[in-house]
Amino acid sequence: METTPGKSNPIPPRDPSLPSHRVRWVLVGAFLGLLGLIFVAGVAATRTLAEMHRQEQAARRALAERAQTLSGLYLSIQVYNESIQRYVGYPSAKSDPQVRQQLDRLTADIGSRLTRYPGNRQPEEAALLQAVLDLFDRHRDLYQSARALGAGAPQGRLIGDQVITMRAEILDRSGQLSAWNGRQLQSADESLLAEFSRLRASLTGSLSIALAAGLLLVLVSMGYILRLERQTRGRYRELAESRHELERLSSSLVDAQEAERRAISRELHDEVGQSLGALLVDLGRLSTSLPDDRAEIRERLERMKSVAERTVGTVRDIALLLRPSMLDDLGLAAALEWQGREVSRRSEMEVAVQAENVPDDLPDEYKICVYRLVQEALHNAVRHSQARNARVRVSTSGSGIAIEVSDDGHGFHPERSRGLGILGMEERVKRLGGTLHIRSAPGQGAVLRAELPLPVSAGAPA
Amino acid sequence: MKPTRVLLADDHTLIRAGLRLVVEQQPEFTVVGEAADGRQAVALAESLKPDIVVMDIGMPGLNGIEACRQIRESLPDTQVVMLSMHSDEGYVLRALKAGARAYLLKDSAEADLARAIRAASEGKSFFSPAVGKVLLEDYMRKLQRTGAEDSYDLLTPREREILQLVAEGQSSKEIAGLLHLSVYTVETHRARLMQKLNLRGVPELILYAVRKGIVS
Repeated sequence: METTPGKSNPIPPRDPSLPSHRVRWVLVGAFLGLLGLIFVAGVAATRTLAEMHRQEQAARRALAERAQTLSGLYLSIQVYNESIQRYVGYPSAKSDPQVRQQLDRLTADIGSRLTRYPGNRQPEEAALLQAVLDLFDRHRDLYQSARALGAGAPQGRLIGDQVITMRAEILDRSGQLSAWNGRQLQSADESLLAEFSRLRASLTGSLSIALAAGLLLVLVSMGYILRLERQTRGRYRELAESRHELERLSSSLVDAQEAERRAISRELHDEVGQSLGALLVDLGRLSTSLPDDRAEIRERLERMKSVAERTVGTVRDIALLLRPSMLDDLGLAAALEWQGREVSRRSEMEVAVQAENVPDDLPDEYKICVYRLVQEALHNAVRHSQARNARVRVSTSGSGIAIEVSDDGHGFHPERSRGLGILGMEERVKRLGGTLHIRSAPGQGAVLRAELPLPVSAGAPA
Repeated sequence: MKPTRVLLADDHTLIRAGLRLVVEQQPEFTVVGEAADGRQAVALAESLKPDIVVMDIGMPGLNGIEACRQIRESLPDTQVVMLSMHSDEGYVLRALKAGARAYLLKDSAEADLARAIRAASEGKSFFSPAVGKVLLEDYMRKLQRTGAEDSYDLLTPREREILQLVAEGQSSKEIAGLLHLSVYTVETHRARLMQKLNLRGVPELILYAVRKGIVS
C-alpha cells in the first residue's frame, strides 16, 4: 500500500461538494421544467378538445336549423301547390273564402320565411334557395292568374296540369335538399376530423418533446448518480484502507511494546539481576570467611548485603511487571494464579483465580493477551472501584477461550469512562479476532468478558 | 564416606561459579558437572547420574521444572534442589509436583544451599525460610479476608504428627516404625487429614506444611 499523498488519491483535487450542489439544482430545475411542459401540453389539449366539441355542436345546430327551415319551406310550397290544385280543380272551392284565405296566409307566410333566411349562404345552399324562390314565384303567379280568371274557365285545366308538373319538381327539389343536407353533415364531420388530427399532431409533438427531455434528464441523472456512487466508493475504500492501516499500526504498536518490554525485562534479569546475585554470593562468602574478631566489618558487609537484596527485589519486580517470567516458566494458568496472589498481597482486594483447564500450548500472543487483559482489569478494579473481591475465570471451549474478570467494586459507566486501559484491552482482543464486553453500572461492580477464537491448531509455534 | 555428587544447572555463568564455590566449601560435596540450560541438565544427569541436581527454575529452552520432571522420571535416586527467585506458591507447588525435594530462593542460596543439599540427599524436604513466610502470609490473609476457618484446627494431635512426618519426606512404613503403629493405621490417618485439609496429593500436603511452618 503506497502512502505517498496525492498520487494515490483517485478523486480529482478540486472540491467536489461545490459542483454537485449546482448539478442538483440544475436537475431539480429540469425536472420542474419537464413537469411544466407536460402540464401545459395537457391543459392545451383539453382546451382544444372542449373548443372542438363546442364548435361541432354549434355547426350541427346551425346546419339543422337551416335544413329544417329549407325543408319546411318545401313542405309549405307543397301544401300551397295542393291548395292551388284544389282551388283550380274544384270550382265550388274557388269561391270558398276559407280556401282563399288559407292561400293568402300561405303566400304571406312563405314570403316572410324566405326573407328571414340567414344571409351568409353557400353557393349550393343559395342555388337551392333560389329554386325555392322560383317555385314560389311561379306558384304565386299561377294562383294570381287563377284568381283573375274566375271560375269555370277553360284555362283551369291548363293550370291544373302546370300544378302537377310543379309538384314533381318539388319532390325533385326535396331530394336535392336531403342530399345537400347529407353532404353538409359529411363536410362538417370531415372538418372535425381534420381538427382532431391537428390536435393529435400537436399532442404527439409536445409528448415527443417531453419524452426526449425526460430521456435526457434520466441520462444526466444517471450520470450524476454514477459519479456520486464512484466518489462514495472511492471514499469508502480510502476509509477502509486508512482504518486497516490504523489497525495494523496499533497492532504493531502492541507487538513492539511487548517486544520492548520483553527485551528490557530480559536485560534487567540477565545483566543487572545476575550481577547483583553474584555480588550477593560473594558478599556472603566474604562474610563467612571473615575471622570472628572482625565484627565491625561483618556488620558493614551485612548492610551492603541488605542493600543489594533490596535492589535485587526491586529489579525483579520491574522485570516481572514488564514480562512475567511465569508465562514462560509455568504457563498461563500458573501465571494468572500468581498475578491474583500478587494483587491480593499488594492491595486490599482478594482475587480468586480459576484457570485449570487452560491448555499449556497456547501461542505466546494468546498467553500474553489473556495475561495483560487480566492484569489491566485487576489493576482497574483495585485503582478505581475499591473492590474487596475479584474473580478471574479463564476457560476454554472447543473453539475459543473465554476470560471473565468480575469485581464487587462501585462500578462505572462503561460507555462514558473508556480510558486508555480499556482501549488497550480492546486493541489486544481485536487483534486476535476476539470480542470484549464490559458490563457495569454505578454501584453494581463490573464484569469484563472477552472471548478469543483459538488458532486452528493450538499447538502452533509458541 | 563417599562424597555427595552434585550437578549444577543455571543459565548464568556467574551464578554457577558462585554456586560451585559454595558447594565445594563443604568437604562432603563434590561438583561433577555444570549445565547451562534444561536440556543439557537432563543429558548430563543421565550420563553422570549425580546424587543431587541444583537447578535454576527459569532457564531458556527447557525450563527447570520440566527438566526436574524428566530427571526424576529417569533417575528416581537423584534428588533435585530447585533454585528460584520466586517465593510464590505457584512455583513451589509446581516444583514439588515435578518431584523437587528442596526449594531455595536465590537470595538465600548461599546461606542455605549446603543445608538443602544435605536434607535432599537424605530424602528430606527443605525450603528457604522466606518461602514458608510468604506462603503463610498469603494463607492467613486469605483466611482473614474470606472469613474461612483454619482447617489445621480440625486435625487431631496424631494427624498433625503424621502430617509433619509425611511432609518431611518419610514414607508410611517409616512413620509406622517411628510411631509404633501399623502401616494401615498410618495410611488411614493420612487419608483423613488430607480430606480435612482438602489436599490432593503429597505435593499439596508438603506445600501446606511449609505454609504452616511445620517443615522448613
